[in-house]
Amino acid sequence: MGALGKPIILMVGMYAFLKFVLPNIPGSAPLPSSLIFLYLLLTASGIVIFETLSGESKDAFWGPIQRFLTGENIGGLQALRYGVFILFPLLVGWQTYGSTAVSDLPPTESRTIHPAPPGEYTGLSNPVPKTPENIMQGKGFYAAYCSPCHGGNFDGKGPAARGYIPAPANFADPTTIAMLQESYLFWRIKKGGVGLPIEGAPWKSAMPRWEVELPDEWIWKIIMGEYDGAHQSPRTWE
Amino acid sequence: MKPANQIIGQVLRVGIGVLTAIMIGGVTIGSAQESVSVRATLMTGGVPVDDPSAAAWSSAPPATFPMSPQVHWQNRIQEVTVKDVIVRALHDGKQVAVLVEYADPTQDPDDAAALEFMVGDKKAHFAHGQPMLQVEGGPVNIWFWKNKAAKAVDMNAKGFGTLKAQEHQDVKAKGVYSNGTWKVVFSRDLSTGHAEEDVQITPGQFISIAFAVWDGRKDGAGDLVEKGSQKAVSSWWYFRADAPPDYSGYMYAAIAAALALGFQFVLIRKLKKGQSA
Repeated sequence: MGALGKPIILMVGMYAFLKFVLPNIPGSAPLPSSLIFLYLLLTASGIVIFETLSGESKDAFWGPIQRFLTGENIGGLQALRYGVFILFPLLVGWQTYGSTAVSDLPPTESRTIHPAPPGEYTGLSNPVPKTPENIMQGKGFYAAYCSPCHGGNFDGKGPAARGYIPAPANFADPTTIAMLQESYLFWRIKKGGVGLPIEGAPWKSAMPRWEVELPDEWIWKIIMGEYDGAHQSPRTWE
Repeated sequence: MKPANQIIGQVLRVGIGVLTAIMIGGVTIGSAQESVSVRATLMTGGVPVDDPSAAAWSSAPPATFPMSPQVHWQNRIQEVTVKDVIVRALHDGKQVAVLVEYADPTQDPDDAAALEFMVGDKKAHFAHGQPMLQVEGGPVNIWFWKNKAAKAVDMNAKGFGTLKAQEHQDVKAKGVYSNGTWKVVFSRDLSTGHAEEDVQITPGQFISIAFAVWDGRKDGAGDLVEKGSQKAVSSWWYFRADAPPDYSGYMYAAIAAALALGFQFVLIRKLKKGQSA
């Protein structure tokens, strides 16, 4: 089986590289099994082309495979040969069953967490002066209207939050209000969950449409109080 | 006679084709069912529509969903009695029954519970199908039970303030209270003749479901603490009635295994012939 040794080592080495080494290279990610299979198929094709370039190498390559399959003079490998003949159809049957079985999982959902706001809500600046009194007042409004869900600590863990999916935003998390402009928050607070575009899955958000209950000035003050309380700053373009 | 390697070449091409098909098909690994959906187990011999304690319920897997005070619209409430609901469901191909179970320290005449479904293909906001500003939503179908009424009301809504009982009442409900726990069974035919108003339950298909509960206790002044929009609510979750068992997967697997066996047989035969010639 000398001529087969190198190709087998090459295939195993290639698999190990794709499966275990490549994902650990910085900036890389685990490869999907279909891609690994494609690469192994290319490697195998390369080996077959290389081994069949000349008549001698061709015989040296195919000979052992042929002998193994026909069971001619293979001695102790006979048991392995029968094992392969039994396992191969079983494997094919199992794979076919797996790929035809009906999934028990609900439909997957994708939701854009920060969808684009309507044009009239981009680039607005907070008209309320940033004074200690206004921030204080904003925090007071926040405590009354927002904290039941978004939490007294601005962490999204208010007492009313537990049943809601999506969970109320955690303002202390740097990926929420810290990466948004004040005008974006103004839109989200004014229009609430029902104001989201379709990619924001508006039918699931419990966020109230505060424009029907609170004047704009209060909303701007709440925004100030939120940034101050969560120790974050709004994103700016400067 | 063909040379042996030519035969092997042919065989390899077929084999690679088969292998590719297998790999693309992929392996489906069975996954644990978390509480993201209610599964209505298929049973025979009639669902226990009047009996929340029937033995048949033990064959339905329980799913637990967290509840929150309703905050989307005024009037709000900051705290509610019921923190979780445990839901089971059964169906027999004709009728479906949904058992909602929750802890409530006191039995009150105004204790109430409700199921909510999206109707048809249009999405609906979980808060009574509240109109959405950028998406055209659909109505919700609400199955409402109240202890003192001892029956269900089949209703529709498309936004707060639009809740209305239907002309044709298709839903039944029965509540039993014991040991600080309410068990309420809602039941209906899987499909009704009114697809515009009623949720239609097709076995095998996922639909959206949400829950609401009112604790009918009164405060010191004799006023109800939870009433109307002041209630415990859940987000949207999934509901699916089991489809009848489908054994076609085993048939396909047997065919594939037989083909693979035949392929091996032909391969060996050809190779042996090639050698002896």
